[in-house]
Amino acid sequence: MKSRTVILFIFCLWIWPVFFAVADENGRQRVLAADRIPDESAFFESREKDKERQESPGSYSENNHTTEAAQALSDFMALEEIPATTERLPYADDPWPDEISMAAIGQEDEEEVFVEEPIDTIADPLEPMNRAFFAVNDKLYFWFLKPVTKVYTKVTPKKARTGIRNFFYNLGFPVRFVNCLLQFKGEGAGMEFGRFLVNSTIGLGGVLDVATEGCQFKNYDEDFGQTLQFYGLGNGFYLDWPVFGPSSLTDSIGAAGDSFLDPLKYARIKSRNRTYARALKGVNGASFLLDEYEALKDSALDPYIALRDAYYQYRKKKVKE
Amino acid sequence: MAFPDKKYCIGPMVIFLLVLALPVWAGVPTEKIKQTTEKIIAVLKDPNLQGPAKMQERNKKLREVADERFDWEEMAKRTLGKYWNEHTPEEKKTFVPLFITLMERSYLDKVQGYSGEKVNYTGESIDGKYGVIDVKILTNQGQEIAVSYKMKNRDDDWFIYDIVAEGVSLVNNYRVQFNSILTQSPYAVLIKKLEEKVAQPQLPKPSN
Repeated sequence: MKSRTVILFIFCLWIWPVFFAVADENGRQRVLAADRIPDESAFFESREKDKERQESPGSYSENNHTTEAAQALSDFMALEEIPATTERLPYADDPWPDEISMAAIGQEDEEEVFVEEPIDTIADPLEPMNRAFFAVNDKLYFWFLKPVTKVYTKVTPKKARTGIRNFFYNLGFPVRFVNCLLQFKGEGAGMEFGRFLVNSTIGLGGVLDVATEGCQFKNYDEDFGQTLQFYGLGNGFYLDWPVFGPSSLTDSIGAAGDSFLDPLKYARIKSRNRTYARALKGVNGASFLLDEYEALKDSALDPYIALRDAYYQYRKKKVKE
Repeated sequence: MAFPDKKYCIGPMVIFLLVLALPVWAGVPTEKIKQTTEKIIAVLKDPNLQGPAKMQERNKKLREVADERFDWEEMAKRTLGKYWNEHTPEEKKTFVPLFITLMERSYLDKVQGYSGEKVNYTGESIDGKYGVIDVKILTNQGQEIAVSYKMKNRDDDWFIYDIVAEGVSLVNNYRVQFNSILTQSPYAVLIKKLEEKVAQPQLPKPSN
């Protein structure tokens, strides 16, 4: 019957949030349980011990039901009985806990929620070196980049700066296109290809971003660092390069890889002009960001950590997209 | 094909309308954000409050608007994380006001640069007393900045406890900083650093 189908369909439409809620709750419970599972190896170790005891019956005097292996196994099964020893966070009931993978979210009984505090940040084994380079970059910023960019901003109208930025962004097309393909982002690759075609022709070589304004073509800012993370390579650790600034081990490898897709590298121009072009790209880009570095420094207690964390969180979001 | 009988239709229609009505009911936090954003923009555009001479007055007004919508104490709890529980109420009393001043300052630094950017409200999700409101800010150079406001419902009203700009969470950023300080030095050092920071003069309004 057609009408029954319609009713069933609409009923399903109405009921699906309930299904999702149930599925979600199960998922949370499982994550919660997984977090409390005692180390599996404990079970196997104690089983070995039991075996040894059975081989030397002299020392084996306890009754059979409470062997260590059985104990470990029952620990393993009876998850609820394992006491959580970590302390309770003031925001443990938050469903969006600052992107932290906190397991005990969504529990109705707040008093029973105990979570370990996971500080979500990037490894930084080279912190002393990074801090030294951060100080160098800070000086470079105030002594060189800021004055130069200030003068540049004064003599270059905003429209021209936007045009120059668009031009260089358009030149970055090969990097974005190839990395979209490497991450199987078909739509992204298509969008980027369309953007490049439209902006390079109608957009006068990329100066005008017609693709965004006219065609609603979204840009896909993919690079090789993100591709490496897509394939499961972690970010490694934090690196603050002199001149180039914040990066990670993976992103540095990525940047080196991407440099082979930089059209400027292959342009038939004098190497001196290539350097000028790169300097223009850098200073022009900085002209849009001058205040941001100072605002970050102004509001931070430890500017080095603030920048490191901002870089980490920003890249994490990029990889996720 | 004949359209299903009338009697089969009414029930599903009612249910369908209920489904449609849900997102409308859920629009409250977005409205709150809209109101606050409009108030902030009104203060920033106010011709009586322009120029460096009026900066103090302007900041005072901005602070008042922000105080209505931000749950500073919730933010303080979250940035201290596990350290929050370790401290006595007296210690918290010294920390919270300092933290609020720092947050206001950091928020004002960001808001000061406003020059006619458009704000589009792109999404809202609510889970119990928590909500996330997604916003796209279109800069004058044609760039989009994705911002999320995390809100908590308290006393039938919604308050912001975190701002996430391009994936960078304000609370997480401070938490990592505080954690880095507190793992190396005692609580008093953190308070001293906060006091020094708050005493610094605020940045002037950016020029470009």
